[in-house]
Amino acid sequence: MFKIQLKNDKLLKVWCHFLCKGFLVEMRGDQLLLPCGKTVKTMVARLPRICVFKMADDCSPSDVGRNYDEAIKVQVENIHKEIADMQSLVSEKMDICVLGKEYSADDYIYQSKIKDLALNYSHVRKTRGDGNCFYRAFGFAYMELLIGNQAEYDRFKNLASQSKDDLVSLGFPSFTVEDFYQVFMETIEDVGKHQCAEELLKTFQDEGLSNYIVVYLRLLTSAQLQRKSDFFENFIEGGRTTKEFCSQEVEPMARESDHIHIIALTDALGVCVRVVYVDRSGDSSVNHHDFPEDGSRPAVVLLYRPGHYDILYHKQL
Amino acid sequence: MAAWQRRLQKELIEIQKKPPPGMHLDTDSVSSNLATWIIHVDGAPGTLYDGEKFQLEFKFGSRYPFESPEVVFGGSNIPVHPHVYSNGHICLSILTDDWSPALSVESVCLSIVSMLSSCQEKKLPPDNNWYVKTCNKNPKKTRWWYHDDTV
Repeated sequence: MFKIQLKNDKLLKVWCHFLCKGFLVEMRGDQLLLPCGKTVKTMVARLPRICVFKMADDCSPSDVGRNYDEAIKVQVENIHKEIADMQSLVSEKMDICVLGKEYSADDYIYQSKIKDLALNYSHVRKTRGDGNCFYRAFGFAYMELLIGNQAEYDRFKNLASQSKDDLVSLGFPSFTVEDFYQVFMETIEDVGKHQCAEELLKTFQDEGLSNYIVVYLRLLTSAQLQRKSDFFENFIEGGRTTKEFCSQEVEPMARESDHIHIIALTDALGVCVRVVYVDRSGDSSVNHHDFPEDGSRPAVVLLYRPGHYDILYHKQL
Repeated sequence: MAAWQRRLQKELIEIQKKPPPGMHLDTDSVSSNLATWIIHVDGAPGTLYDGEKFQLEFKFGSRYPFESPEVVFGGSNIPVHPHVYSNGHICLSILTDDWSPALSVESVCLSIVSMLSSCQEKKLPPDNNWYVKTCNKNPKKTRWWYHDDTV
């Protein structure tokens, strides 16, 4: 059995990480106890060094014969609730320096990457780590940009208003799509009435409305993957068809997004997104990737740290 | 009326107006808050379940459609199928992991009928005895492994 000792605020994250992968984790004070095994060992080794951990094998082995399903489910539900209580779906705009405080001062790689990030970006808006962060971050950042940008607004509204018929023609049931479409269009309407960012933020912080928007963006992503299935099929792992991939990795809530999702959504909406990566790889400078990579000017900039997307704001010159 | 009830009301009207072939809603079973329904399902013609009649019991929570409904076979006839336990619990990914808010009662029924229809041999799941003894009453409390989609 592994024992991991953590600072309190990191404990929850790591706990959640293991539970979501289906491991039963016990929390004792500031320690996590994990079952032995190669997979767990690899996962522990891959954990970001934001947490100082110790491994030990002085604990008794776990009781293998028991049905742990319920215990795991309850723990996962509690975790999700705790995360929800701690983190709003989309946060206020914060100074970029808050990112540095999430890592220990002697974490050279992260601290220097965040310094590098601060050369170009002044603010960050965080999203809840609930598996929907890409859609929520993209949705908010893009709609915020539409406020006061009439030409882009008209283009997008026109595109969005036709999207429901496209979804229905691809076989999505019209009466379930309708609900999500309505909320999506109402949000766009409100943006058009020169809503301010604070009002848009309220919409995105309201779980009922915010999740409707996330579902609709998921459906648009799925539709694009299926429409261009000949192309996307080459990137799908595990011998699955595009349709299977969509119903397993795109349409369910909380399923995380990979490059393929970003390519499909930005393609569907005709919006260029820049993703800036802050992770443990390479040297002390951050790198980025634009979707699509055709030289268009990115409308939205997202910050990616392993497993999570937040919104970035350029420095005003 | 809460959002989940509005959505269910829409589905209720839809399924009564255009019931999918071989299925009908038991209107008496629908509770006044819409949280429980029973749907009668006929085994599809030309399959191993031809001529059999089944009941699907649906329970909805206040987070529907963001959370999946709880769906089990009920009544006196539980289909013998490698993915259906003798207590009525169904091992089908869209009922838990792969549930999407864009799915509906109708799409759940259609998936279950299609699962029955593709069956080649009527037999119980291999771990039926252990599962039925140890499981929770609510199948959503089970962490299912979906390893075989071909049965």
